[in-house]
Amino acid sequence: MLAVDVKNIKKTFISKQDIVEAVKDVSFQVKQGEIFGLLGPNGAGKSTTILMLTTLLSITEGSASVLGIDVASKDKEVREKIGVALQDTGLDNLLTGKELFFTTCRLWGYSKKDSEVRTGELLELVGLTEAAERRVKTYSGGMKRRLDLGLSLVHSPEILFLDEPTTGLDPGSRRVLWDEIKRLRDNGVTIILTTQYLEEADELADRIAIIDEGLVVAEGTADELKASIGGDVITFAFDNYDDLENAKNILKNTVQEKNELRITVEDGASKIPVYLKDLSSNGVEVSSVSASKPTLDDVFLEVTGYRLEGSEDIKKSEEKSKR
Amino acid sequence: MESNRSFLVQLQILTKRMVLRVVRRPLAELPNLIISAFFLFVYDGALGGVFGGAASGTPFDFAKGNFINFILPVSIVSASLSGAASGIYLVEDIESGVFKRYQSMPISRWAIILAPMNVGAFRVLLQSGLILFIGIIIGADPAVGSIGFLIVLSIAFIWGMGFAGYSVAAGVKSGSSQGAQAATFLFFPAIFLAPTFVPREALKGWLETAAAYNPTTYVIEAMRAVMVDGWELDVLFRGYLSAGLFAALTLTLAVISARKATEKA
Repeated sequence: MLAVDVKNIKKTFISKQDIVEAVKDVSFQVKQGEIFGLLGPNGAGKSTTILMLTTLLSITEGSASVLGIDVASKDKEVREKIGVALQDTGLDNLLTGKELFFTTCRLWGYSKKDSEVRTGELLELVGLTEAAERRVKTYSGGMKRRLDLGLSLVHSPEILFLDEPTTGLDPGSRRVLWDEIKRLRDNGVTIILTTQYLEEADELADRIAIIDEGLVVAEGTADELKASIGGDVITFAFDNYDDLENAKNILKNTVQEKNELRITVEDGASKIPVYLKDLSSNGVEVSSVSASKPTLDDVFLEVTGYRLEGSEDIKKSEEKSKR
Repeated sequence: MESNRSFLVQLQILTKRMVLRVVRRPLAELPNLIISAFFLFVYDGALGGVFGGAASGTPFDFAKGNFINFILPVSIVSASLSGAASGIYLVEDIESGVFKRYQSMPISRWAIILAPMNVGAFRVLLQSGLILFIGIIIGADPAVGSIGFLIVLSIAFIWGMGFAGYSVAAGVKSGSSQGAQAATFLFFPAIFLAPTFVPREALKGWLETAAAYNPTTYVIEAMRAVMVDGWELDVLFRGYLSAGLFAALTLTLAVISARKATEKA
């Protein structure tokens, strides 16, 4: 049985001023025990998709099921099976971590005694035992995300929905959370996560769907997606704008980004001298050239026509933390 | 693991959590209590000398010798406004995303809405009870005997739940704590367009007309009846009716708003 089966779902918000198609047509399937990543920029429709699948938003058109249970008609049954940690689900800052776990355990039906035991287990699991008696308002961003994750695990859900679980976290906290998410997957939990970080999707997701403007524009494993654009990516950089314009006319099928031109070809390394010779004979000066295997960044650029912002930030903060 | 708790147990757990929040912010509870006590002491100090025992045998003897009995209902009505905190508690949960967290769990939506109202009701009883207690210490003595205190408290409770309903409706509708706090703006017209300092017969012109349309008038008059005049069943009936209609109206609005808030968009 599929963990999640989404068929052509749409979400349209109608207000007096506007009609917004937040999700135009999204379909995907998630197998049990895998991490499925929904990758896309802000406003792509990732969070709206998750809200529909977690029964918090109605589906305008199409259908979706979780473990074979229809999301639209059997929402309470679906909520029994899933754990949810959304970007905008909140934590009660006036309570302690321990009190939050205990209250959530009680709401999930544990007896007082069992709630105490489960609270201890979960505090240990997310590494908050020492901070258990502190009020949540004193927690760091990373601790709050771990607490949030822990709260979504109280009832040992079979499927976990995580909406941008590491947005705003420092590299250290991000790594801790990545490890925890992988560990959950290894224990059989199916995880559907949204992210706007390419590295996160590459590192965590067994399969990825790239969402842009409410549509799934590509889907597969990271390797499949990278292979789909074929060959190697050659990047030419130019110091001079005229050189860049001339090079565009000489090299066909290039994608420009700032002062660089990229071209995807088979066996890139062997073709670099040929391209350089062509450019040089036409008086075009190239400041640098390199060939690399396609990254998810290249895939994203290929299928959407623009680069995903935010991934630069994650790279920079990773580098900064290494220094 | 399946969530198999009954509605009442869920309500109890969520109410307990809300009480913890209130206990953790004790200073937030004080302003309304202090204002209510302040009214009692200041009005008694300023007007008690004129309209208290000294007025005996004059046309101004409407307090029948005990001005505390006469002014106490005003402080009680003020204390009952503490019910408006219900909406603020609920909107804080909506703003912080805690409301959405509970919505993602298989628990009753109504338990999520009713828990802050439970705490609001408790707050009304506690604050009104404390003001009554202060009143007793400084000489309140109902004309109908001690049962008068219970009657006053019961009217205050219904009236306070009316404010709770109003604040929940306003808060959920606006989605902001400022919206819920707007309930407190009702305080001034509710209190001062009413026979606060003198009986309604002594009011003149537009104020007399405004007081006649202000339900607070009938609530204060009912409380005063048992405190000052004795068993005046028609006055008592009008007081309960006004408080009851106000509460019914605002709680209906609260239910409608809450239903919309818990429906899927």
